[in-house]
Amino acid sequence: MSVAQIEMVELDAAPSGGLWSEAWRRLRRNPGAIVGFSFVAVFVFVGIFAPLVAPYSALDQHLELIAKGCCPGPSAHHLFGVDDLGRDEFSRVLYGARSSLIIGVVAVSVALTAGLVVGGTAGYLGGIVDSVLMRAMDVMLAIPGLLFAIGIVAMLGPSLLHIMIAIGVTNIPIFARLLRGSILAQRENDFVLAARAVGVPRRSILASHILPNAISPVIVQGTLALATAIIDVAGLSFLGLGDPNPARPEWGQMLTNSNNYLQNAPFLAIIPGLAIVVSALGFNLIGDALREALDPKLRGRE
Amino acid sequence: MLRFIIRRLFLLVPILVGLSILIFLWIRALPGSPAQALLGERATPAAITQIRHQYGLDKPLYVQYLRYVDTTAHGNFGTSIVSRRPVTTELRERFPATVELSVAAMLFAMSLGIPLGFLAAKRYGTIFDHVSLVGSLIGVSTPIFFLALVLKYVFAVRLGWLPSIGRQDVLLDASHPTNFYVLDGLVTGNWSAAWDATKHLILPAIALGSIPLAIIARSTRAAALDVQNEDYVRTARAKGLPPRTVDSRHIFRNAMLPVSTIIGLQTGLLLSGAVLTETVFALPGIGSWLANAIFNRDYPVIQGGILFTALVFVFVNLLVDISYGIINPRIRLS
Repeated sequence: MSVAQIEMVELDAAPSGGLWSEAWRRLRRNPGAIVGFSFVAVFVFVGIFAPLVAPYSALDQHLELIAKGCCPGPSAHHLFGVDDLGRDEFSRVLYGARSSLIIGVVAVSVALTAGLVVGGTAGYLGGIVDSVLMRAMDVMLAIPGLLFAIGIVAMLGPSLLHIMIAIGVTNIPIFARLLRGSILAQRENDFVLAARAVGVPRRSILASHILPNAISPVIVQGTLALATAIIDVAGLSFLGLGDPNPARPEWGQMLTNSNNYLQNAPFLAIIPGLAIVVSALGFNLIGDALREALDPKLRGRE
Repeated sequence: MLRFIIRRLFLLVPILVGLSILIFLWIRALPGSPAQALLGERATPAAITQIRHQYGLDKPLYVQYLRYVDTTAHGNFGTSIVSRRPVTTELRERFPATVELSVAAMLFAMSLGIPLGFLAAKRYGTIFDHVSLVGSLIGVSTPIFFLALVLKYVFAVRLGWLPSIGRQDVLLDASHPTNFYVLDGLVTGNWSAAWDATKHLILPAIALGSIPLAIIARSTRAAALDVQNEDYVRTARAKGLPPRTVDSRHIFRNAMLPVSTIIGLQTGLLLSGAVLTETVFALPGIGSWLANAIFNRDYPVIQGGILFTALVFVFVNLLVDISYGIINPRIRLS
């Protein structure tokens, strides 16, 4: 498309609603977003209603099935077969969505809130506060993500809460930097200057003029962070730093356990693995579509 | 240029100080005191007092911190609780394996990702573009260890084409002057050893390189799309340069600028990913060393390992920044 054509398209585009209504309109037309939303919908639904959907509980053992060795494959009673302890694989995968969902949502909320506070303060106050906070964030970013999380869980001991904290903390600097950059970009805008000239207090300028405009990259990043969180949780449990409670199965842990039975029962590895891929892919598809939908450069272009 | 490098080095100081404080506090916050960790659970109070005195743990916190910085700066990372060997010695033995793996993974990711991303941008909006975009999203959504297990199952267990564990065949007799096995084979003229080491690297490198591959392909595509609409590209086309020249000289070179930074940032991902990849393929690198240390609660190793990888990460990014300054004069002069 030549520059002239692009300009014509831009002129043709009717000034439709606000950023958000237009973003929503574009999201609904993006096949990737629709696929992503359906993956995530299934994931969230299963995560919340696992005890109602799952045919067995996460701990029910069917020892008679593994009497002849590990592990019998899919059957009518056990859709995905049973694991090395005779537990129904299908039910455990469904329950696994719970752990990932809870940890992902809590961890990303922690990171988002702390990141908003740090990034918002640094970006709006500037000066020495900005320098100190941002150098602290740089230090946190200097430790590769998963290793940082490993260090935190190793320090606090493996438990559901500590995994959430670890994944949350490692994500704080990402959000803080993003929001600060975004605020700095917004701060120079005319409408902020206008608000300041009229005498609007600093805090409400930040809350009602800057933040709403600076938030869209943060939302995109939040969606993508959910995908990474799901993968990182699985990585932590794969290394033996997972939630120790057997009643809360976790996909990464299921993969570790299956490692010894790879030859006889590859489905035990493939099923939880695919569960991770599908849920992470769902969030990545949404995040990607959101980024495109919210990109001001692409507004009005189809 | 020198001034740019010096300024960049100065920016490193607060990061290193912060890092040392963070890791120092991390040891203090560990459950149980370091003296307890050294002596085990049934240590007598007298022995604990003695060890506390011996290691200066009864001194004020800032004295301990300065001591910690002093010993670490001299390359002393402590002694592994499990093997009773200096952490630095083990680090030196294991680091080459991780470097070899990371380089192989990065080569795989770049040699596939850059052409794929560039082609996708050239064929913007076609099936090829869509497929590569979806493929890259699937790539970033796939946990490394899952891909590693699948590769191991298919190519090692089922098909038997490639070895599944270790760095070389156990029966192979080869000398290792540098501990970089592929290089060792080439240097000593032992071609079969070099080939064997390479075969052992293929599956782990693909597993570890999958996410960087996806990210590099995506960012190359995005960068090439941005550059394609620049005025100088239009000018180059207008003055009748052959399309291939415009592609390689005007689009490709400029698109590579942001991509080179992205490639540097992937080092952190490689180092994290090495923990998982090396665990699956039983490679004796830093990653599996750390994973074992976590399992054994070998805190000096965990601490030294994390500090060391963080340092590697920081320095690689420094190098990337500097080389970015070299290839992009706009950054250097601002």
